[in-house]
Amino acid sequence: MIETIKQHVAGLLTEKKIAGFLGLIEKNGHVAPHLFKDGESLAGFTLGDRKTAGDARYPLNKTLVTLSRAYPEETFGVLVRGCDERGLYGLFRLNQLTEDRVIPVGFSCPAELSEACECRKPYPDSLVAGEKTESSQLKKVAEMDGKDLARRFDFWTAQFVKCVKCYGCRDVCPMCFCKECSLECEDLVAKGDLPVEVPVFHLTRAMHMADRCVDCGLCDEACPSDIPLRLLYKKTAQIMDTDYGFTSGLNKNERSPLSQMGPAK
Amino acid sequence: MLDFTGIEKERLRARWVSSAEAPEFVEEVNAFIDTLKELGPSPLKAAVEAKKEEQKEAPA
Repeated sequence: MIETIKQHVAGLLTEKKIAGFLGLIEKNGHVAPHLFKDGESLAGFTLGDRKTAGDARYPLNKTLVTLSRAYPEETFGVLVRGCDERGLYGLFRLNQLTEDRVIPVGFSCPAELSEACECRKPYPDSLVAGEKTESSQLKKVAEMDGKDLARRFDFWTAQFVKCVKCYGCRDVCPMCFCKECSLECEDLVAKGDLPVEVPVFHLTRAMHMADRCVDCGLCDEACPSDIPLRLLYKKTAQIMDTDYGFTSGLNKNERSPLSQMGPAK
Repeated sequence: MLDFTGIEKERLRARWVSSAEAPEFVEEVNAFIDTLKELGPSPLKAAVEAKKEEQKEAPA
């Protein structure tokens, strides 16, 4: 799979279709984002799979946004999984990236990873390598819904109270780009206070991500307190889907029901 | 989302009432007060305090 992608990327670079390719590199035992440029060898290029598939992912879209702001005239290639591509579609919709300045190079995730992520679409539309893996069902949300109210209250209060307010979830999030963040507004969130206001702090973020979150799960991986944030956002996404038939980033050119006037469909 | 995190969803209410409809507003607020009285105090504050103590005793 990786060889197919390397060839494809090398082709794009020599044909000058892209100014650079944003991917991952394995260097000194670490996986990090890297901009591969023309003439440079693709040595060290990695898909972010070390011990298991997808265990060294990185919010490349976030880097891409920074990059395209610095070089708005250039076109860049970017390595995407299914979730990353959903992120790209979301960022196009929210005017953070220009579609014709981005060439996604996609690969699919293996079935085990799709299963673990409970991913709705574990392959990108711009599939260069890999097969279209089957999507998985939301089991953990249903499991949580099955518990009674008191149990859920106990579970989430115990989770939220662990928060050390490091803002890691927001900082790693490829869909968080606001210049002013509500979670840093002192009128809403008291500075220096721990624990955070339960459950307001986490639900505020969940609401803000309702039509953005593309379920990549990086927040969950980044959280030093192991708060199951992904589960929380999966529920928000489920509500958006049942009530509005909308899933962030699932289809290109979609529009968010939260930014439209009129009755819900 | 409140319901998902274990808080009675009846504790939050959003209604649209025009500024010219004072009686509707009063009715709505009174009804909400009754609901809240029925539900009783929220267990949230006590639960958070208890969890905080637990954490102090056994740092993870």
